[in-house]
Amino acid sequence: MRILVAEDELVLAQQIKSVLSSEGRVVDLTHDGSEAQFLGETEPYDVIILDIGLPQRDGITILKSLRAKKVTTPVLILSARDGWSDRVDGLDAGADDYLTKPFHMPELSARVRAMIRRKSGQTDPVFRKESIVFDTRSNQVTVDGIPTSLTAQEVAVLSYLFHNAGRLVSRTELSEHIYEYDGDRDSNTIAVFVNRLRKKLGNELIETVRGRGYVIKTAA
Amino acid sequence: MISLRTRAVVAGIIWASFAILIGVFGLARYLENQTQSQFNEQLLDRHLLVAIEVANYADTPDRIAQAIANPVYLRPMSGQYWQVTRPDGMVYVSPSLGDARLPDADPGNQGIQIVNFVGPRGDMVRGVEERITLEDGSVWTVQVASSLLALTEDRARLRNNLAVAFGLIAVIGIISAFLQVTATLRPLNALRRDVLTRWNTEGNLEPDGYPLEVAPLVNDINTLIERNRGIVSRSRRQAADLAHAIKTPAAIVRNELESLRSGGQPVQRAIDALDRLDAQLKRSFARMRADGGNAAVQTFTDLDTSLGRLLRAFRSMAQNENKRLEIDLPKGLRVRMDQADFEEVMGNLIDNAMKWSQSQISITVKKRDSAVEIKIQDDGPGIPEDAYEMATLSGQRLDTSKPGTGLGLAIAADLAHAYGGKVSLSVSDRLGGLAATVHLKTSGL
Repeated sequence: MRILVAEDELVLAQQIKSVLSSEGRVVDLTHDGSEAQFLGETEPYDVIILDIGLPQRDGITILKSLRAKKVTTPVLILSARDGWSDRVDGLDAGADDYLTKPFHMPELSARVRAMIRRKSGQTDPVFRKESIVFDTRSNQVTVDGIPTSLTAQEVAVLSYLFHNAGRLVSRTELSEHIYEYDGDRDSNTIAVFVNRLRKKLGNELIETVRGRGYVIKTAA
Repeated sequence: MISLRTRAVVAGIIWASFAILIGVFGLARYLENQTQSQFNEQLLDRHLLVAIEVANYADTPDRIAQAIANPVYLRPMSGQYWQVTRPDGMVYVSPSLGDARLPDADPGNQGIQIVNFVGPRGDMVRGVEERITLEDGSVWTVQVASSLLALTEDRARLRNNLAVAFGLIAVIGIISAFLQVTATLRPLNALRRDVLTRWNTEGNLEPDGYPLEVAPLVNDINTLIERNRGIVSRSRRQAADLAHAIKTPAAIVRNELESLRSGGQPVQRAIDALDRLDAQLKRSFARMRADGGNAAVQTFTDLDTSLGRLLRAFRSMAQNENKRLEIDLPKGLRVRMDQADFEEVMGNLIDNAMKWSQSQISITVKKRDSAVEIKIQDDGPGIPEDAYEMATLSGQRLDTSKPGTGLGLAIAADLAHAYGGKVSLSVSDRLGGLAATVHLKTSGL
């Protein structure tokens, strides 16, 4: 899952990045409004965390213009303005959630998680497919109740495929969602991650559609 | 201070009385002179007539009385008399004199003399006497007299008429002074009404609708209103800037402390202190806001728009949490409160209800005289009755099992109070949880 964090306070942005990264998210940072808007329009983020008081362009303007351009990425507004009026302004501009500073990092994580889940139409934070259980809150995977240890990249691939269960996901799409903006994107490594996941979780979970991509089939 | 109306009317009455007095005296004097000279002329005319008849009938003086046919001389003691004295001292008189005689003229007098004396009836009469010399060289004395009673009566009648006329003028003057003052003061009364109306509506006063003399005052009032709005929005902006400047570093400190804590460092006391700091800041900013609200005149919030906006936000939240949010809102209501402040009150109360409710929140809005009553009910655990005051006044957290600063109810109460409204708590009769009722005014303070 790839997240854009647009926050002009460098230390805070870094803190958010390190917490989200530790939870298996890929995070792009930007500190000014124009860049935030450019990235939001051109990169396929799963969530955008947007500060309202950005230099160059403020968060609300960016959000409105993203929504006007039919970008439906869930947006969480992060703001020092804690009035209900400001919150409603943000939600009315098309934000999916609103968090005021100072905030508790676990709350930010939880809200990001919930936004990603809602976008995929999932209400339960735990994904289940036959004997495999994936808990998005802890990134813990169990097979027949036995915990399996996964690397951050493996979790990222698995998480993306679970959140898009029932839909064919191409290698390119997968790489776009598990690598940073300026990361070294090699779609062959995707195949490596999928193979490792199959070894750890069994061959049935992720199906390959030759030449097109991967899919986790839904129970139905 | 004496009212403008009283000043204008009293000054008007003083000047009018002065003018009327001068008018009455002047006119009376003029008319009296006129009457006097008319009286004298008439007397002289009569004297001339008698003199002519004397010249005509000097040979047969007994016929003089016959010749002067004026009936006023016939009635005894009529007040009009003539008397002719022949050179030999023989006296001929008008029948009105009867046996009485006019006093003898002073032989030393030359030409026509006008004298006042007591007449035969005992009243004052004015006489004209002259010694005339006829063609034959004989010298006759011709006297005519007329009672002054008529003149006195005329004078009194004149005075009465003048008094009535000027009295009428005075009454008309006073009434028109009142009307004039009322007409002059009308723009000021209109201004007062307008200011009152503007208090209840947005926008400025329109100086074009006022007379030249009042328009500058209207402009000044507008400037005052503008300045007031400026102060309110400036202090709010400053509070917001300050909040922003403090909150981001606070967030950074918190995150550092949290990561130290998860690394096993003993930082709980620092985190607790930061919690207190955050809560204190939140409360102080809310207070600043409430103080600003007091000064914000002429701001109104349309409930359809504002509650509609809030509900859009809360509905999606309720949906996410599988809770039901019902609202009963009559159309077209508004409250005298800044929109951001109104949304702050309602946001805090609905958020509170949402946080504690099991599955249902209900909002009912009712119009009550010049106030609007908004009742927010939930099916949560509620608050013990003895804690109501603490929840709305002190901003204490009653229960720490849900996230939040515990300030929501207190902030809402502070803000509502700043606009002359209030928030009261009770047990929800419909849902069993907490019912928070907000009373807000619909018009001026």
